[in-house]
Amino acid sequence: MLLDAVILVLREVLEAAFLLCVMLVFGQVLALRSRWVGLGLLLAAVGVALYAGGMQGITDALEGAGQEVLNAALQMTVFLLLMPVLALGVIAARRMRQCGRVLPGLMAAAVGLALVRESAEILIYVRAFSAVDEYRLGVYAGSALGLGIGASAGVLAWSALRALRPARAFPVCLGLLAVIGAGMVMQAALLLEQVDWLPAQPPLWDSSWLLSEQSLLGQLLFAVLGYEATPGPVQVALYVGSLGLAALSIWLGYRIGGRANDTL
Amino acid sequence: MRRSGWFALGALLSLLPTQALAATPVYEIEIRGHLFFPEELRIPADTKVKLRVHNRDATPEEFESYELNREKVIMGGRSASIFVGPLAPGVYPFFGEFNPRTAQGRILVVEGD
Repeated sequence: MLLDAVILVLREVLEAAFLLCVMLVFGQVLALRSRWVGLGLLLAAVGVALYAGGMQGITDALEGAGQEVLNAALQMTVFLLLMPVLALGVIAARRMRQCGRVLPGLMAAAVGLALVRESAEILIYVRAFSAVDEYRLGVYAGSALGLGIGASAGVLAWSALRALRPARAFPVCLGLLAVIGAGMVMQAALLLEQVDWLPAQPPLWDSSWLLSEQSLLGQLLFAVLGYEATPGPVQVALYVGSLGLAALSIWLGYRIGGRANDTL
Repeated sequence: MRRSGWFALGALLSLLPTQALAATPVYEIEIRGHLFFPEELRIPADTKVKLRVHNRDATPEEFESYELNREKVIMGGRSASIFVGPLAPGVYPFFGEFNPRTAQGRILVVEGD
């Protein structure tokens, strides 16, 4: 039970921790006050409690498609929030002043919703299995370990990004936020296929012989890039389209922000 | 005339989104004591099927498969539907993420079944 809990929690935490740490560095490079982090975590806590508490009803909603549709909506919303974050971030960097409360607010919402998506499952698992006497210790200890390892990986990624010069860290953050967002859109498409809201098609390729999704590297690349070993044409098109939208947002930011400041 | 009318209707139906057709085969899977019954399910190739997963345990389970790109939490004592396919022939393992050591199963996709 202990090891199962470690793996389950770690898998979910990795994704959320990675987005959070890239956002933290993004905010730090832009010299934003870090209040948005607290707001994001508060939003996540409320959201997770509501989600996990309402799981029965959510699952049965929309003729059994509720869980998938809600998760897909959460991930699509995170992506849509990331687009103005990219544009406003670039504008803020160009003009070297902050865009009021809008940017931190959007960042808090994106991180909060992503955390809801990733941690609701952990809460459901921990709550149910810690109620069984023989599992309790393993579930608590394993979850704590998984959380610890996931958080450490996040801190490691954060330090690596912080070690870069701000002029380098900023475009790296932009790029990472773009691929994280595109990965979320692709996952949302898979969820909608699962309930037959989107037609499922045969995969375009199978790269599991090269890199399995189950391997450690596969899991890491999934968390960062949304790696799928057997993506269908819809997923690939959405992934590429989302990256295009992200590039457009960044371009818009540079366009509006002008070339007033060349430090970032 | 009547036959061509049916033919036209058929052609029209084939253009509709797949969910409009009720012909999707349904397969039942049960979770009992953190095990899948049956643990091996044969489904036809190139066909979309609907899995009805019934969780008879009191604890929740997450149906998960990397090969099928599927994941769904099923609360204790509840059932859930998961659409799978169309798939190429092969073996597609699935597992219960909350009890991965015991809850293991696989879908065998076979030609012309």
